[in-house]
Amino acid sequence: MIGLFITLFLFPLVGWSVARRSWGEAFLFGAGLVGTILFFAGVVHLPLVAALALVLIGSIGVAVWTYRNHKRDIPHPTPHSPLPTIAMAIPLVVLALIAAVTPLNDFDGRAFWVLKAKGIAHERSIDGPFFQGATLDPRNQYPLLIPIDGAVILGLAHDLDDRHLRWLYVGFLAALALLVRERITNLVSPAAGAWCAALLVWIPQFAVATEGGALSAYNDIAVAAFAAGAFFELVGETLPRRDRDTAPAPYREIRFGLWLVFLILTKSEGLPFALVFLLIGAFVFRKRIVTPAILAAVAAVALLIWRARIPAGDEENFVRMLPTIPEKLANLRAALAAFPRHMIAFSSWGAFWVAVILAAVLAIRVDRRAATIAIAVIASMLAVYCGVYVATDWVVTDLIAVTANRLLMHLAAPALFLLALAAQWWTRTKSM
Amino acid sequence: MRSYSLIPRVLCALLLLSLAATTLPRLVARTREALTLLPLSYDSRRERQMGAWYASIQSLRRTLPKKEPVALVLGIRDTEAAIFANYYLYPIRARLYAGRNDYRNAAPDPTRPKTILAVTSEKTERTSYEVLRDRDLRAGHRVVAAPQLSESATSFVLPIAASLDGAAPETFVIEATLADLNDSWPRSALADGIGPFSNEVRMTFWPKGVSRTLRIAPGETLSYYDLVYQLYGVMESGWIQVESRLPLRTAFYFVNRGRADATRLPNVKPFATRIPQAPLHRDAKLFLLNPGDSIAVTTVGAETIPIMPHAIVTKPISAIPDVSGNVYAFVTTRELNGKTDFYWPEPRPNP
Repeated sequence: MIGLFITLFLFPLVGWSVARRSWGEAFLFGAGLVGTILFFAGVVHLPLVAALALVLIGSIGVAVWTYRNHKRDIPHPTPHSPLPTIAMAIPLVVLALIAAVTPLNDFDGRAFWVLKAKGIAHERSIDGPFFQGATLDPRNQYPLLIPIDGAVILGLAHDLDDRHLRWLYVGFLAALALLVRERITNLVSPAAGAWCAALLVWIPQFAVATEGGALSAYNDIAVAAFAAGAFFELVGETLPRRDRDTAPAPYREIRFGLWLVFLILTKSEGLPFALVFLLIGAFVFRKRIVTPAILAAVAAVALLIWRARIPAGDEENFVRMLPTIPEKLANLRAALAAFPRHMIAFSSWGAFWVAVILAAVLAIRVDRRAATIAIAVIASMLAVYCGVYVATDWVVTDLIAVTANRLLMHLAAPALFLLALAAQWWTRTKSM
Repeated sequence: MRSYSLIPRVLCALLLLSLAATTLPRLVARTREALTLLPLSYDSRRERQMGAWYASIQSLRRTLPKKEPVALVLGIRDTEAAIFANYYLYPIRARLYAGRNDYRNAAPDPTRPKTILAVTSEKTERTSYEVLRDRDLRAGHRVVAAPQLSESATSFVLPIAASLDGAAPETFVIEATLADLNDSWPRSALADGIGPFSNEVRMTFWPKGVSRTLRIAPGETLSYYDLVYQLYGVMESGWIQVESRLPLRTAFYFVNRGRADATRLPNVKPFATRIPQAPLHRDAKLFLLNPGDSIAVTTVGAETIPIMPHAIVTKPISAIPDVSGNVYAFVTTRELNGKTDFYWPEPRPNP
């Protein structure tokens, strides 16, 4: 139950201490901060246990102080919408029950991610013997944010059994759903927020997919969640303020930068994702983009320093592969077809992406700027992923088959936002 | 949604239905699975999911020392099983070896784990290199398909007997055939009470001095693909003293299974030291074998070497030397293509 406790309380407490938001955002912020701080501590060889203790003590202190002095600033709960709330709660509760009983059984989770969590928890280091080849670690240089979070749970449980981590991954889906609900509520409308969150948790790829779903230990939901955090900061900056909840958030660019840091330290796809966000963010934040750019650069440099200290596994180095793209243009057709083919795969996405594409057309009429940002994020990331498919040394069709659906997951937040905006089109048409 | 129009609500409901159409049945299936697993202990749930394979891992996790690394030696299609074995065994550190050859080629690596776990998709078991090697050799084919049998004899020496590996693919074994022919059965054997259905052959592996007694029925032929390991259970080299109650016809071949080459070995009567001159290639060695029960003082060129009883001594050489003494001497050298050549001594004239 220690895993459940940490998922429900510890990560949200850390997140809540720095950004007083909903449970969902607090959980994501907390998981991201704990992973990031311990990663940096590991890079500079500070003891991880001491760093964690400081984070926890600091979080508790800040939380207590905040509660005593800023009771009135605690955000209003999201307006209650019974039907979508129930629709959202059902799969989450069922998934939590399944996760509590069923052992982890996916490939990447066991082969790479949770194995790293075990290694870090056992050695209390991110560049110890585990990462130096003393034991088999197939993707040795994969980023460590989520494995570090896992290691925190395993370390506090004093047990390397993966049963303690089952809650974490369901927790990410629940937190993402709550983040989507809260932000779309603030940015578009409460009903849109509630329904978008409900739609999200019913998407088969998120809920029940063996590879990448909430019952697996893949990190794609975490990437989707951190990308959602960054995306909503970006859109929040562009929309007009309606009330206190949608008022300009102080230090928004710092929060945007932190989401990017979490993205970079979560998965290899995080770095190009952060670059895309920075590029689009430059048009939104203008000069203030420097702050998130610096934060992202620090994370990227820390990641590079850590990678330089440990041997590479069998992961592909896409930067080195970029010059080989002209030789691999034969992959282009498969790469271009990859996402459209998976978007209409009913078993993974239902009619979700078809609806998103149609919604994009309407969303532009509702709010051209916000919709353009969402479309730009989706299109840019799809272009980046297509480029990776062209450059890969794997058999491209094999790589697409195992990754395309998971990469589409990363774009859930802008896609849902387009749906929410499009729904406003009827409201506006009717009210005219 | 909070609008005045029904259209977005209907569209949203349709979209939700399209998602639930796939998710709901799978959620129900997973829930049923969870309910089935619920009464079991957590490890039993894993066993239910992964079958006997997980049970084998669980048993290894209980018995293996936590701080000693293990080598996961896997078959061609068992990479996934090895990756999961690595996962469930942790914090026992594991190194992956794609097959036995990968493991043996890592012999110069001082960090190569000594404990071997053979991983397949059915089970993971603790084993030894010798057992894995024997499994491979047994599954393969003998190099000498039609062995050429010697004349009948009751006592002789096999001057070299080995079961050894070099770097892949070098795999040295003795392929042996021992045949008892009906027509060689003398009446005296029947009188001695050992027949008519079996001959006893005593084979002693020196310098260890380990003996095995074989019973061969009339007309029966015994075959070995790796005589030393099959009889003595060791991967070592030495020589063998063969003593048979009845005349026996044999064929022994020094075989490199990895290169599929074979050299017929002579049945030796001690002693012989005069090796004719012949070209030496690389790794040329002089072998001095003392089959006697007392120290044999041997002269090699200008050097005097005492050879202990039943010992076999090797000495690197660059040219075939003059040898004398109560020993059996022979030379081996390896051609550039890896084939081992043997130069045997001329038999001593009968006194």
